[in-house]
Amino acid sequence: MNCREALEHLYEFLDQELTPELQNEVREHLEACSPCGEQFDHQDAFLKFLQARCRSKSAPPELKRRILHELFGE
Amino acid sequence: MSVPNSPAPADEKRASFEREALVHLDSLYRVALRLTGNSADADDLVQETILKAYRAWHQYQQGTNAKGWLLTILRHAFINEYRRRTRHPESVDIDAIEPFAVFDQGQDDDPQERFFDQIVDDEVLRAIDELPEQFREAVVLSDVEGMSYEEVSRILEVPIGTVKSRLFRGRRLLQAKLHDYAVDMGYIKGSRT
Repeated sequence: MNCREALEHLYEFLDQELTPELQNEVREHLEACSPCGEQFDHQDAFLKFLQARCRSKSAPPELKRRILHELFGE
Repeated sequence: MSVPNSPAPADEKRASFEREALVHLDSLYRVALRLTGNSADADDLVQETILKAYRAWHQYQQGTNAKGWLLTILRHAFINEYRRRTRHPESVDIDAIEPFAVFDQGQDDDPQERFFDQIVDDEVLRAIDELPEQFREAVVLSDVEGMSYEEVSRILEVPIGTVKSRLFRGRRLLQAKLHDYAVDMGYIKGSRT
């Protein structure tokens, strides 16, 4: 696998959406090619940052109460 | 004489709805907030989604993907009733975005760490809200809600290839926005002209 092919699979690799064979091929390329490895690391860090910043928000308690009241009269 | 009581159908429906649907309330709220752009509409959209889902609960096949089912209902409700009165981010020239510019700082000692440390949650959410809707939907479902390409494809009713393309563009656009913000705030040095 060359650099162009590896980069085409960048997000599928990070999202674990590739077949095991392709996942291995990309991983082998990254181990051998440090510029690609760095790009993948940067993108991986960005996605983890995004997830950490966005996944914590909860529905307001008032909305939960309103919904339970509408559904079950509570 | 004591006869074991089996739960009334209404109680069963309520129990299964609480167990399989209401546990996803936080996810529904996060997605609604990013779609509508304001908490009042997000509240109403989630409430409407839940009430519709409860009425249609007999159509849901228990034990399958309740979160995906609920998000599909939410998205349809959004498109039909909310989209026209919520904000439409201006279209952007995606091709003008430099693919790998975000952390390509060269002279900075550790731009990536500084970038992550300095940017506050609100700024991340604002940047997501500014994405064009097609990209925003894909990023929110995948990155905020952790759904697979296949699940996103079902909810958005587009092929998986389209999901990949929207995610690619949405993520790059988001990075470019956050990068520009970090440069403007002086958190990192700008490399783009």
